[in-house]
Amino acid sequence: MSEYQPVILPDIPDLDRIDVYEQHGGYQHIRKSLGMAPDDVIGIVKESGLRGRGGAAFPTGLKWSFMPTDGEKPNYLCVNGDESEPGSFKDRQIFEFNPHLMIEGILIAGYALRIKAAYIYIRGEYEKWVQMVEKAVADAYAKGYVGEKMKETFGTDFSCEIYVHRGAGAYICGEESSLMNSIEGIRPYPRVKPPFPAQVGLWGCPTTINNVETIANVPLIIERGADWYKNIGAEKHPGPILYGISGHVNKPGVYELPTGMLLTELIHDVAGGVPGDKKIKMVIPGGSSMPPLRGDQLEGVRMDAESLKEIGSAIGTAGIMVMDEDTDLTRILTRITHFYKVESCGQCTPCREGTGWMLKVFHRLLDGEGEPKDLDLLHSVAKNIEGNTVCALGDAAAWPVKFTIERFRDELEAELSR
Amino acid sequence: MKQHTTRMTLTIDNKTVTADTGASILDVARQNGIDIPTLCWHEQLSPHGGCRMCIVEVEGLSHFPTACTTPAADGMIVRTHTAQIREMRAEILQLFLSEHTASCLVCDEQEECREYMSTVRKAGVTTGCRYCPKDGQCELQAVTESLGVRDIIYPIYYRGIPVETEDPFYDRDYNLCILCGRCVRMCQEVRLADVLAYKHRGRDAIIGPAFARTHLEAGCEFCGACVSVCPTGTLREKARAWEGAPDREEITTCTFCGVGCQVRLLVKEDRIIGSLPADDPTVNQGQLCVKGRFCNTELVNGHQRIRHPYRRENDIAWDVSWDAAFELIAEKLRSSAPERTGMLVSSNLTNEDLYVAQKFMRVVMKTHHIDSTARLFYGSGFSAYLTLMDRAVPLSAIRDASAVLMVGLDTRFSRSVVGVAIRTAMKRGIRMFTLHSREHTFSLNADVWLQPEVGEEYRYVEALVRLAAGEDVTDRSIPADMRVRLADVARALSESDSPVILVGAEFLQYDSSRAFLAAVAQLADHVGAGVLTLPAQNNLYGSLLSGSFPELLPGMRPTADAARLQKLESLWGTSLTGLTDAWNADHLLRDDCAMQFLYAVGALPPVHRGAAKFTVFQNMYPPEPYCSADLVLPTAAATETDGSFLNGERRVQRVRRAVAPPGIALPDWDILCRLARHMGAEGFAFTRPEEIREEMAQVIPGFGEAEIDARGILPLAFDAVMHVSGNGTAQRPPDSDHPFILHSSVVEHTHRGFPLAAWVEGSRILFPEGVLDISAEDARALGLRDGDSVHVSGASFEEIYPVRIVRQQPRGALHASILESALTHPNPQPVSVRKADV
Repeated sequence: MSEYQPVILPDIPDLDRIDVYEQHGGYQHIRKSLGMAPDDVIGIVKESGLRGRGGAAFPTGLKWSFMPTDGEKPNYLCVNGDESEPGSFKDRQIFEFNPHLMIEGILIAGYALRIKAAYIYIRGEYEKWVQMVEKAVADAYAKGYVGEKMKETFGTDFSCEIYVHRGAGAYICGEESSLMNSIEGIRPYPRVKPPFPAQVGLWGCPTTINNVETIANVPLIIERGADWYKNIGAEKHPGPILYGISGHVNKPGVYELPTGMLLTELIHDVAGGVPGDKKIKMVIPGGSSMPPLRGDQLEGVRMDAESLKEIGSAIGTAGIMVMDEDTDLTRILTRITHFYKVESCGQCTPCREGTGWMLKVFHRLLDGEGEPKDLDLLHSVAKNIEGNTVCALGDAAAWPVKFTIERFRDELEAELSR
Repeated sequence: MKQHTTRMTLTIDNKTVTADTGASILDVARQNGIDIPTLCWHEQLSPHGGCRMCIVEVEGLSHFPTACTTPAADGMIVRTHTAQIREMRAEILQLFLSEHTASCLVCDEQEECREYMSTVRKAGVTTGCRYCPKDGQCELQAVTESLGVRDIIYPIYYRGIPVETEDPFYDRDYNLCILCGRCVRMCQEVRLADVLAYKHRGRDAIIGPAFARTHLEAGCEFCGACVSVCPTGTLREKARAWEGAPDREEITTCTFCGVGCQVRLLVKEDRIIGSLPADDPTVNQGQLCVKGRFCNTELVNGHQRIRHPYRRENDIAWDVSWDAAFELIAEKLRSSAPERTGMLVSSNLTNEDLYVAQKFMRVVMKTHHIDSTARLFYGSGFSAYLTLMDRAVPLSAIRDASAVLMVGLDTRFSRSVVGVAIRTAMKRGIRMFTLHSREHTFSLNADVWLQPEVGEEYRYVEALVRLAAGEDVTDRSIPADMRVRLADVARALSESDSPVILVGAEFLQYDSSRAFLAAVAQLADHVGAGVLTLPAQNNLYGSLLSGSFPELLPGMRPTADAARLQKLESLWGTSLTGLTDAWNADHLLRDDCAMQFLYAVGALPPVHRGAAKFTVFQNMYPPEPYCSADLVLPTAAATETDGSFLNGERRVQRVRRAVAPPGIALPDWDILCRLARHMGAEGFAFTRPEEIREEMAQVIPGFGEAEIDARGILPLAFDAVMHVSGNGTAQRPPDSDHPFILHSSVVEHTHRGFPLAAWVEGSRILFPEGVLDISAEDARALGLRDGDSVHVSGASFEEIYPVRIVRQQPRGALHASILESALTHPNPQPVSVRKADV
């Protein structure tokens, strides 16, 4: 795949500057979009096969089509850059290296969705990147690409505002309905669905929430067409994708490549293999909450939503975490569970109480006081959390534990007896 | 397109059921008698979906949705009690129980324990443990039993959170909390008070006011709505915590203010153990304030209640029988001249009590000398207030209003249900303005807060009148920014289709109150506003209607109304000509008041100033230390008699006897009837309040039983002239001898003359009586700390008060909250202040 030329994070120096972005055709795709009917824009995105890059890989065009077109209330777009999942660090690259691609994507999506305003929600710890995005948005405003002035710039009736909203450091705010509550200034408990955001979202108005990377794909689709896009990567989950590879690899980092790459190729060729050529014990393919894969299970596995689903995992945010044969899985699970225990919002009993109990049991295991039946207890608590909470973050807390026990019981028992 | 049907058909547990679209699975199941366990769900609140007890199986769904949050759909196939679901529920429940002090829920000895357990409160030895005041009424307990959970796979973990007991009226033990969030949703969604919130997250999540403030600081109204919805023993009423479940309930009308909320009295073993809001769509819509919710129980159960008539002479008191008491009164009355005899009532009594009282004075004593303490409360503004009150629009006008102006109304501890109605209307987008000199519930969330200096309120209303009439504000004593706000308010009121002015009970004792109330009436005329006065007295209208004033005959007719007099003469079978009407309650404040006989019924007479030769004090509590009496008679509380009230809307409502009075106490009407009969009078053979109402109905419209049951608004018009004391003395500026300005207000939190703070412990913190508010700067300059005593002296009075340092109090200004009987004029007046020598 060495012939692949990155398009989301192309190798162009200073592309974060608006003048450089303009020199490379920037802010022409919104112009092109404004020449189309909003529904045609949605049609192209649907046709392209673009699926969400924030975790669930939901078809973006379909999501957009849920938005009312003639509602009495204003429509909103939220761009989710909370990026709090351990193992995910790819939206940050867009904020830093190609923020105007995202802004232009917001304008195109905004036009298609007939929004009044868009909110870019950035995790609180990303102070540096908040400043970068704020500068980019200010530059776009100054150039007349955003806000009231865009009517004049593009000769259109459409205009939308863009606000940058900084989170306050809670994992739960990455959940779309919590994110809206956070913007509204209330406690970010996830909302009960239905109603879905496209009916009752931000401030009770129809709202679409898209991931940063998803939005950054949109101008490229408009520029080069749906056919170009759907021929990149996996058939049912096409397009360029940012793989974040971390853990026991020689060259960790974010790599833009087509979807559907072989996991082994990504680890061994792209990321330079495992230090000391050790064997791989475990790989989590999509950020810490996705079901882990065994090292001896990786052959032929492709990194796209459908392929991973087939072998019992999920693409998530494409944050690949590689762990070599010397990794202590009990410690890994303790660390992951500690994260979810601290980040559980407390709304639902199974997640609130269950994460705490799981962590207590893990500490018991680490202290050498564990018994094999503790693994059964952990598995039962995790199963009780799974699918049993208002939001998907209950699953996020449960899956690493549940699937690791199911897939690595031999390893865990061996660690236990040590 | 398929046509939308309003009904849908689905299958729950193999049963085919139909329901309206929009209903949740839980709604449909319960409508069809299928029980699904719940903990966080509550009928008054939005679904939360957090406890996960109501998970169900829906065919075609891979996960288990919560029945409370999932809309039922046509053709849905739902199973609520499969083995898998029961097991999942039991496992989730164990997660709750692992952190709940739950031994009592799963204890092996449970059965025997309940049978043989005795109290742990006073006895040193117990035969069982009693951890939780909710035992037997706990929803967690019920769910645990219904799911058959007897073991917990997790070790029991005690969170060790200190129990919060420092606030009045209710305690909080968050070790028992299951984070169902009902209290938070109640506070935020229904009360719209936003005091309670979730703090921290995950396992550390706990409930309370944000930013570590106390409930008092966070603006809690202590309405107790959160306590009512708590499914566990976490939130517990101090006075009711260990009482257990009530035997029965009685619906009655609250007697603490002119709103007239409907309450459900909880009765156990012939004792009131609690009062909860009744589900009343007309007045309080299932809500109450702190007084209706908490004060009632303590007030009627106080151990100091009088149980027996007693005589007091030369500082010696001894019990007497009713007959002896009646004989003594008869003897004293026979030797009293009608013109030097009077009866003081309060407008807290029932219509029936008041009717009998005035009839007693007119028929037996041959005098019009009956008066209500309301005259003292309203002072020089009395007539103006009654005229304003006469325009009352119903409470529902708030719901339909497009703009509301509140004047002198603080809904925090009184009339809170009106506050809830206003906040609900604000959520709908109405404009809301408040005129109040001090910080209060709405000072922060009103659209505009008109904040005059204390005593200057009337100037602001007068300015509004001028602005509404299209004139400019010429009053330069009003600051420029406030003039801008006034113009905004006047414009909004003028442009509104249906504005409402709500008149509270504050700053009505200032000498400017007549001007203030007159201006409110003018303003209402100019902008076409409905006015709703919500009197501090629950039955002010009833006292007017029953004729409990020297100027008024039953039916609210003037004493000089010959036709009415004639009608009464024939009804009562006695002559009413030549009766004296020269006396009223104001005379009690005069130094030359030389009464031979004063009969105080449910009122505290200001006798420390003009003592009567003989005073009968008929009340729930003894007169000391507020006043002294020669004969004290025990009366039934409003929860111990049947009767009726008229609230501030003129709505007639019933009070019902829930329990028997203590000792040999009797209802006021009964005492007066027995006394009249003892004195040989005819026409007092009433044995039940219905009989009194039957007679009242002949002169007062709207008093038939059916009309009372309908709780309608009586179409009344007030056109009598009330004598008003001329205490509008011009205010003197402060001088070097008297550098402070003292404003005095009568505390409205009273019942039958007593401040609630006298007999209800929690109210001492929330609404103390007899305290002096002072600014922090003045307190510092005088070397005063909160609670210190100060000696205040004016031109004609001296008083010692404890001080309360109030952030918002302006420098140089003092504010005293006192009883009617302690009121002095002029008000405001210049005073000097020094720290009292202790």
